[in-house]
Amino acid sequence: MSWKVKLAILVSLLAAGLQLYQPERSNPPSNPGGSFEAVARPAPELANVLRRACYDCHSNETRWPWYSRVSPVSWLIARDVRRGRAHLNFSEWNRLSPQAAQHKLREACEEVRAGEMPLALYRWFHSEARLSAADADWICAASKAP
Amino acid sequence: MRHALIAIALGILAFGTGCQRKPSDVVDPAKLKVFEPLPEVVAASYGTPSEELIALGRMLYYDPRLSKSQQISCNTCHDLNKYGVDNEPTSEGHKGQKGDRNSPTVYNAAAQFAQFWDGRAPDVEEQAKGPVMNPVEMAMPSDKLVIAVLKSIPEYVDAFRRAFPKDKDPVNLDNMARAIGAFERRLLTPARWDKFLKGDAQALTSAEKAGLNVFLEAGCQTCHLGALLGGTMFQKLGLMKPYPDQSDPGRYRVTKNEADRMVFKVPMLRNVEKTAPYFHNGKVATLEQAVQEMADYQLGKTLSRKETEAIITFLKSLTGEIPFDYIKQPELPKSTARTPKPDLSD
Ligand code: HEC
Ligand code: HEC
Ligand code: HEC
Repeated sequence: MSWKVKLAILVSLLAAGLQLYQPERSNPPSNPGGSFEAVARPAPELANVLRRACYDCHSNETRWPWYSRVSPVSWLIARDVRRGRAHLNFSEWNRLSPQAAQHKLREACEEVRAGEMPLALYRWFHSEARLSAADADWICAASKAP
Repeated sequence: MRHALIAIALGILAFGTGCQRKPSDVVDPAKLKVFEPLPEVVAASYGTPSEELIALGRMLYYDPRLSKSQQISCNTCHDLNKYGVDNEPTSEGHKGQKGDRNSPTVYNAAAQFAQFWDGRAPDVEEQAKGPVMNPVEMAMPSDKLVIAVLKSIPEYVDAFRRAFPKDKDPVNLDNMARAIGAFERRLLTPARWDKFLKGDAQALTSAEKAGLNVFLEAGCQTCHLGALLGGTMFQKLGLMKPYPDQSDPGRYRVTKNEADRMVFKVPMLRNVEKTAPYFHNGKVATLEQAVQEMADYQLGKTLSRKETEAIITFLKSLTGEIPFDYIKQPELPKSTARTPKPDLSD
């Protein structure tokens, strides 16, 4: 066996071994009455933008893609989802006072306008999450509502 | 597979950029937008409280006769000379019984969006009805007894009349709570931090500003924001990994909703230097431990000793001034022969 074949086998074994280690990939229980849509009653256009581009990381309704089952990518994705939910969770909007909700929407507006959100890597995989200026305007308008 | 490989490479890159830089003491003003200075008073839905109402509230706050044993007042557990706390993990109420939660401070509390660790009271007025009849706190068996005590003291009856001139029968539980609430609405402790937020960059030392940057970099303001650096939302304790002490389910007790298990009100950080011990169970003795557990359980980050110290240096700049004139204990009206006697039974 050439060293190349040996290396290939070794790498494959390592990669297979890695698959035994999988992160927690679950959608926690949530109360439908507590969601952004139930509490803030957003315009359908706004709800649609957020669902399309943000809900995978900022809600309890994550659609886990097939590659989220492949380590070590699974770890990176699970980590983004956990962190994303910790910063902003549209499924738990009833936990926020009106004032805190306003802060979160203002930040969302700023992040989107600055091109920081959704995360660049996510946009690369999800063409539907590449937001137009009009999409961003929906978020920014909501953040200015009284 | 190409996608996955690129994902790995980019992921590693992302990890790299997450690494530390030396904290600077230049604070980006855009990052301060999530905070606000303390208001001068916390507005009440019924209008501006009168001086008479506040004076009555102050007396009631200090009066142990609102308890069954006539030994425990609000001030026993929320000592206004000690930043509104008793510095005990959990407080001793009627006959030395202990509740299961730590006493939060009453300073600035009125400005929160909800009261209690689980938010079960919407405001300080509603809150003030709780402790008087809580069996392990002031343990009054009924509101009738509370009213009987107050009505037996002519000076109180007069004070209620002055505070509620339009009411025919002003001595009642709702008015008692409104008076205490009115007093609490001005228990505010402005700090150097407020001067800083209003534009005086020199109001914080360079070390405090560097600490603020570490606080912001870690992401603490995700939850600890607004005028109080807290008191604006509920959050799960143990967001990134389960919190070990699961004995108190938090807001679940109020809503019975599975999603609210281990969800607590995010507490204020003003005066946090002075309000040890910490967390709802009072089991966290030091600010070091509180900050490190926060980073660990809420943000999935491990802070170095240096970073922890820097954050604590910043947190200390939130310690405000106690309004000593405002909280001065008034002379309490004398009991009469008609006043019910203290009851030391369980
Ligand atoms: C691929 C996952 C992902 C997607 C999709 C995503 N985010 Fe995020 N978002 C994150 C992560 C991870 C963080 C936390 C970053 C950190 O740790 O600083 C975050 C943080 C945020 C924050 C908080 C910033 C802060 O400083 O606290 C806002 C606001 C935000 N995202 C808005 C959005 C909006 C709006 C969308 C949709 C347009 C979106 N995100 C889509 C992963 C995502
Ligand atoms: C025996 C000790 C004790 C006494 C007496 C007591 N409290 Fe408390 N107080 C507590 C504890 C413990 C809590 C937290 C309980 C919880 O969250 O379930 C609390 C909570 C509060 C809060 C909510 C603060 C926040 O940040 O959520 C306020 C306000 C308050 N008390 C005011 C009062 C007033 C006013 C009185 C007198 C009428 C009083 N307390 C009497 C122990 C006490
Ligand atoms: C995801 C929301 C969240 C984040 C992020 C967060 N906290 Fe907290 N913090 C909480 C909650 C909830 C509690 C109440 C814990 C309890 O009920 O026992 C708390 C409690 C505290 C306390 C104890 C206060 C007291 O009076 O007992 C301190 C101090 C504190 N946090 C500091 C920080 C610091 C510093 C950071 C950043 C490293 C941080 N927190 C990040 C939600 C958060």
